[in-house]
Amino acid sequence: MKRFGVLLCAVLLAGAARYETSGPDTEAFIQPVEGLDGEHAASFRQGSGIFRQAWVIGPSQDHPDFIGLGPLYNRLSCIACHVKNGRGAAPDRENGVARTMAARLSVEGRDAHGGPRVHPEYGAQLNPEGVPGVAGEGQAVVEYAEFDVALSDGATVRLRRPTLSFRNLAYGPLGPETKTSLRNAPPVFGLGLLEAVTESEILAGKGRPNFVFSVETGQRTLGRFGLKANQPNLKQQIANAFVEDIGVTSSLFPVESCAPSHSECRRGASTPELTDAQLDAVVAYIRALAPPARRDLENPRVKDGDVLFHEIGCSNCHRDALHVADFSLQPALNGVEIHPYTDLLLHDMGDGLADGRDDFEAGPRDWRTPPLWGLGLAGKGGDGADFLHDGRARTLVEAILWHGGEAQSSADAFRNLPEPQRDALLAFLNSL
Amino acid sequence: MIRAVAVAAFASLFSILGAAPSGASANETIVVVTSFPEELTTRYEREFERNHPQSHVRFIWKQSRDALAELAKPEQGGADVYWAPAPANFAHLRDRGAFRKITVDRAVLPGRLGQQQLSDPAGLYEAYDVAGYGIVANPSALAAAGLSLPRRWRDLASPEYARQLAMPIASKVGFSPALYDILLQSEGWDAGWRLLGEIAGEATLLDSGFAPTASVREGKAALALTIDFFAEIAKANGAAVEMIYPQRTAFLPAHVAMTAASKHVAGAQAFIDFLLSTEGQRLMMERDSRRHPARPDAYQSAPQGFANPFALPASTILDYDSEVGRRRPPLIALLFDLAIVEGHAESAELWRKIHDAEKQFAGNAKAIAALGEAKRLAGFIPVSESDARATAFLERFLRRDAIDPQQIAQWREEIGAARRQARELVKSLEPAP
Repeated sequence: MKRFGVLLCAVLLAGAARYETSGPDTEAFIQPVEGLDGEHAASFRQGSGIFRQAWVIGPSQDHPDFIGLGPLYNRLSCIACHVKNGRGAAPDRENGVARTMAARLSVEGRDAHGGPRVHPEYGAQLNPEGVPGVAGEGQAVVEYAEFDVALSDGATVRLRRPTLSFRNLAYGPLGPETKTSLRNAPPVFGLGLLEAVTESEILAGKGRPNFVFSVETGQRTLGRFGLKANQPNLKQQIANAFVEDIGVTSSLFPVESCAPSHSECRRGASTPELTDAQLDAVVAYIRALAPPARRDLENPRVKDGDVLFHEIGCSNCHRDALHVADFSLQPALNGVEIHPYTDLLLHDMGDGLADGRDDFEAGPRDWRTPPLWGLGLAGKGGDGADFLHDGRARTLVEAILWHGGEAQSSADAFRNLPEPQRDALLAFLNSL
Repeated sequence: MIRAVAVAAFASLFSILGAAPSGASANETIVVVTSFPEELTTRYEREFERNHPQSHVRFIWKQSRDALAELAKPEQGGADVYWAPAPANFAHLRDRGAFRKITVDRAVLPGRLGQQQLSDPAGLYEAYDVAGYGIVANPSALAAAGLSLPRRWRDLASPEYARQLAMPIASKVGFSPALYDILLQSEGWDAGWRLLGEIAGEATLLDSGFAPTASVREGKAALALTIDFFAEIAKANGAAVEMIYPQRTAFLPAHVAMTAASKHVAGAQAFIDFLLSTEGQRLMMERDSRRHPARPDAYQSAPQGFANPFALPASTILDYDSEVGRRRPPLIALLFDLAIVEGHAESAELWRKIHDAEKQFAGNAKAIAALGEAKRLAGFIPVSESDARATAFLERFLRRDAIDPQQIAQWREEIGAARRQARELVKSLEPAP
């Protein structure tokens, strides 16, 4: 009886804690979960500052703590791609420059840890910029070919198929054997809650796990972050982004991302540039970012759309409920049910979305189910509102119609829905 | 002589080029040294490159001292454009021959705000925006406390606002020495420091730029001193705050210039033209930037309720002496630390007692006179106004680590002695036990 009382209290307490934020739409992705204590709130603020800070080329009198940009890099800061903590934007038609996206590169085979074998000249990712004395590697450029898809009621939807190319390559041609994968910057809120879901709950889903290499432990570990679930935890995901995107090394990734033949670039390599304290602060910041609360819950169309979402099979992968197991930033959230609409697992998404590139146990057609929370607020805060891994989909309808492979039946079902039901499904997605 | 040598040295490094062609050439990278935030610079990068598909903008992010060092490198570090909110740097670099003349249309870019010169009269740098300084307030919180909105700097000294106010620390927050210099130029050096001491007495002191606005937004303070865009961004994103420009405040410019060593003159001019175009000036007013254009006609597309400094009443704008203003920040930061930050808790108690005594002895002329003297002593600063305007004196404080420690110790002692006298004066008014 006493135990039941304790459990009931725990449930009530957990039920009272809010993991979502309900601020203005334009601020929806930048708020922490409620109730951070003083220490965690301070870390959140510090991490927020680092996330927005432009990194500099040393020496620096004004910002000695932020020396370490490059030698090769994509952008100066995290916020340059994760605008307002949301997704990046697709390239502009006028020039096709993929400015909030990374072009991942590899060649046939695997590295010593089972991951992709990076390109011998260009490394794991194309870095368009270089510090003085080090040539930027070139630009990734996207062009689109548009085509129409007919829905069963005669309506047509214009999709665009991206073609990735490269120009001004500074270190020679990539070579025909090079595998490329264009990846748009994803939203960064709600990730701490996903990190707090147990491995067993994830593995109970219907997709396939990607087991990846944990740099910290040296162990094969369940991947749950990244567009192919190729990172095991937030710390590794963030530290990897620092070294690949900004050229900032850390204790986790102490070596600059330079090919052995890049003598000027390797001369820039030095001791870790992102301190452990800075890395911890950024991890604390990302870990604490709350997802936005749902809206329009009582709208009948939203309710109908929720039913359809399950009926046509979307929820097979976009799993609507997971549970927070151990969330040290805010223990009141332990045990809380969350609704990220992901299973954090891999699914074959068909040839249309395939990048042709393996990533640990993720195959060329595999993608991790992306969370859908916050979907209806995409673009409201100045962030991008282009969807799928490379931002090819300009609308949610386009995104749905690109689904293939395991999701083909759901996409077909959507195509066959009458317009009012399609609208209801979209109303539901926009309520997330 | 020193300046002439410096100019010659810079000129020899910069390999001056001829007249600018009319547009950016194909596949060129324009290098821009800036300290504007990433949210702003990336917007300009994207829009400029859309309009100039063959050009690429690369930003080198350098704040004040780092920018000076970067632009003093051979070939000015490869920079084509310097674009930053750092008026002192622009004047300094102009004097050393670091810039190439740019052309602007004076019909739409006046380069002035009232009597205040914003741009270089010789055309070596141009105002890009102006930032206003004042008070961010939560009107609802003030109304709930029965308080009205302050309209003048000196209103903030009212005991009614005690413990309601937050202020940035001058040595920690980049914009705040200019903020305090505006108040000092408005009120006068000695009276201004007295006023600052009284305002700060029971205020909360904060060490980051967004913290004053955040403290109002989060309900920790009802008022805070700030540069305007933090408040305007918060307001645009739904916060219940208002920016108040007190009478006799100032709007200080950020600038853009083309480097003398630029090897991409046409591209650099194109980027500058874009910054100063109606479209470029509109971008800075977007929700997450909310800066004030230096181009008056850009306000036609301003968000509703956004202040237009070119249309504010004359009483709002101080005839700010920017030549003095650009040399004073290091001294102000030092004095702020000595007079306001150090011993802040004791100062708070002293000012509380002074304010309590003023209420208690209202109508007692002798006591009020004594309290006036106590206020003078509590806000005492050991530097005269004439020294605070003298270039040679101000240059002694340019580098904090090079300031004579005996000087600092002496000032600390003088401030402490004045405070002790103030405390004794207040105590002398208390009834004997």
